[in-house]
Amino acid sequence: MSQSIGKSFVLGGALSLAAISVSAEQFNWASTTDPQTMDPHAVNSAPVLSFLNNIYEGLVRRGKDMSIEPSLATSWDPLEDENGWRFNLREGVTFADGSAFTAADVMFSYERASNEAADVRSWFAPVTDVRVVDDFTIDFVTSAPNPLFPSSIANFMILDSDWAINNDAALPARDAENFATLNVNGTGPFVVAFRDPGVKTVLTPNAGWWDTAEHNVTEATFTPIGNSATGLAALLSGDIDFIQPIPLQDVEQVESRDGFSVLEGEETRVIMFGFGHEHDTLLYSTDVTDVNPFQDVRVRMAAGHALDMASIDRVLFRGKIETANQLVPAGISGYSTANENRPDYDPERAKELLAEAGYPDGFTFGLKCTNDRYINDEALCRAAASMFAAVGLNAELSTGPVRDYWPQLREDDFDMYLLGWSPGTFDMEHPVRFLLHSQDDEAKLGSWNFGNYSNARVDELLPLIQQEIDPAARQTMIDEVVQITQEEVAYIPLYTQPLIWASKDNVDLTQRADNFFMLRWVTVN
Amino acid sequence: MVYFIAKRLIQSVFVMLAVAFLAFSLFRFVGDPITQMTGVETSVADQERLREELGLNDPFAYQFARFTGDMLRGDFGFSYRTRQPVAEMIATRIPATLELGIVALLISLFVGIPAGVYTALRPRGVATQAILMLTLVGVSIPTFVIGIMLIFFFGVQLGWLPTFGRGGTVNLGGWETSFLTVDGWRALILPAITLGVYQLTLTMRLVRAEMMEVMQSDYIRFATARGVPMGRLYFKHALANTMVPVITIIGLQFGGVIAFSIVTESVFQWPGMGLLFLESIRFVDIPVMGVYLVVIAFFFVLVNLIVDLLYVVIDPRLRVKDLA
Repeated sequence: MSQSIGKSFVLGGALSLAAISVSAEQFNWASTTDPQTMDPHAVNSAPVLSFLNNIYEGLVRRGKDMSIEPSLATSWDPLEDENGWRFNLREGVTFADGSAFTAADVMFSYERASNEAADVRSWFAPVTDVRVVDDFTIDFVTSAPNPLFPSSIANFMILDSDWAINNDAALPARDAENFATLNVNGTGPFVVAFRDPGVKTVLTPNAGWWDTAEHNVTEATFTPIGNSATGLAALLSGDIDFIQPIPLQDVEQVESRDGFSVLEGEETRVIMFGFGHEHDTLLYSTDVTDVNPFQDVRVRMAAGHALDMASIDRVLFRGKIETANQLVPAGISGYSTANENRPDYDPERAKELLAEAGYPDGFTFGLKCTNDRYINDEALCRAAASMFAAVGLNAELSTGPVRDYWPQLREDDFDMYLLGWSPGTFDMEHPVRFLLHSQDDEAKLGSWNFGNYSNARVDELLPLIQQEIDPAARQTMIDEVVQITQEEVAYIPLYTQPLIWASKDNVDLTQRADNFFMLRWVTVN
Repeated sequence: MVYFIAKRLIQSVFVMLAVAFLAFSLFRFVGDPITQMTGVETSVADQERLREELGLNDPFAYQFARFTGDMLRGDFGFSYRTRQPVAEMIATRIPATLELGIVALLISLFVGIPAGVYTALRPRGVATQAILMLTLVGVSIPTFVIGIMLIFFFGVQLGWLPTFGRGGTVNLGGWETSFLTVDGWRALILPAITLGVYQLTLTMRLVRAEMMEVMQSDYIRFATARGVPMGRLYFKHALANTMVPVITIIGLQFGGVIAFSIVTESVFQWPGMGLLFLESIRFVDIPVMGVYLVVIAFFFVLVNLIVDLLYVVIDPRLRVKDLA
């Protein structure tokens, strides 16, 4: 990690950058949430990881279409004699402070990010050993074959070991702040020039960035704006150039004005209803108190047939949603094209199924929903409750903010509930691990499977899916899981959440399906 | 006088303790901070460990005692959300809220008092009716609607004023002030009007009612008969006598303005304490919420004290009582 080499690289980078960017472009953008910290290992949340991806880099990164591409590693191959991966690191990369990037920094970052104090340590659960081979080669050994490992660490960002240690930030801040909470030193395309948490963060290009800059931004200012009306006004008045997201109801307002455009896409988040599979009785029923009718698959199927997704799409979402049939949307790796049918809207069939199950007159139950987590979540649940009621499933709806929602679900305080899930690894294995595998705290599986849906075959298939190298064999197993869970109606997948951003017309940017905003793809014309 | 102030300040400690206790007993219903601090992939075991480390499993009484004990020692703790020291977070946000509140107060006084006097003296005038109608509208529309309407008219349609934030600020020894730059003032106008509207209406109506009553009293009639000039009569003799109740209400209201600037701050993304509090609720940031509420309680006590001291300045009779 020689300082002099680092400095010469910075200088070279600065000269070439000056030649490329001719005009100075100030870019202002807003989003609803301020990143809680500048420490890439302290909080595993989308606002933090999205923001820091502009500043820090991982061994691999995601392209505009979410595909995995080389970043700080130029290539990676499976290890020959054992399970795991060898990463060949990029040479000549420097951190913003000028020190050189080597395998020691990757090793240090791994130790930091897998420490108990880090919130991202679950990424490294399969890792048993990490070995530095030489300055630009590092091996990650895993407990079993792990074909997904390189793509699962796309957000694992590399810190400079000397910088972190010298500034007493060798571990992520757990209760008190440390140097890395407010300061950054990454290898990425931007550096933080100013930060006032919750108020304003200013980024400037990293002159020494190893990659060729596609953007023409010379200074970017980020402001968190929590109130959506204020955000819209800020955009329309020209105070900001871009905002993510905007509410559905504001789309027409933006589109009707000259000089502004709306970017619409599909997020990877699937919205679904879940059941209390494990509950022996209903908690919120006034008429059925001795059993849990949802344990009967016919009742769960009836609930699926009761929902008129076309009306929900038209009335609540202005025709902007894609219905979902499994726990990931089409296009995500592992998506099962063999199981693309979702229960059609058929209230008569729903009533028949209920009668067969022994509830010709239906029953009452409690439906739990959030009111501040997903787009139109409360309205969706109101609509669903009235559709359920039409077939005899009388839902008593209770909604609340997400901050007490998860604790309630963890305490099994529901009969049916709303959940949205975005596969963090952009692979079907992710929801199988978190939502379909039986709850197993020891093995850290099924941790968001609140109703404890449990199927021995699914549990058996998960490790096999995780380890299978052959894509066709892997897909066959995933298809089987999807088929089982559709037949058993483990969840009722509803739709993929739309993603709506708005910007001025003179800004070109890329909307990525993970809702991450990458400054390196912004061009201000 | 010193004894009086000291007594009030000691009382304030008990007020703050009571507020802290109430706040703390409510926090358990706000939500779970751990699920807000960790990502979805964090294992249940890791969440439990964090809960233990932060002392959230301790009994209520113990948590409360620890919070108050730390505060008495001057340790305000660290935010769950940003991990910053809470004292520093709140201190950096105080100037924004105070400056906004003070400007809102000044607007309400400089517009509200003359308008109150005018409408009292010309009760049947056309302008009076118009002012009364307008203020009725002003007091009936919720603050956030007023704010959004102002933003859309002056910020979006006309493009005269910024739509959010504080604009240019200057750091005066740790105090970020908007008062020294044109940008700062431009950013201050809309939120200050929004926050001041209710206060303005109240002041105007109060001054009007008091003024109308005073104008009927004997000493005004005698003064009129004696030929005291009208200007002197209205503003020296009449208005001064309306001020004690007006100051009481305005003073108490000012505490409320500071405390409840939350709505205005959220609409204008004004980086004050209210906005911080709102963000803290979203993330169940208990240390910040606790300290904020205690600080606000202290403000209320302080404002009340200032109001009591102002009485003495305004009403000479109270000075005599104090001496006796």
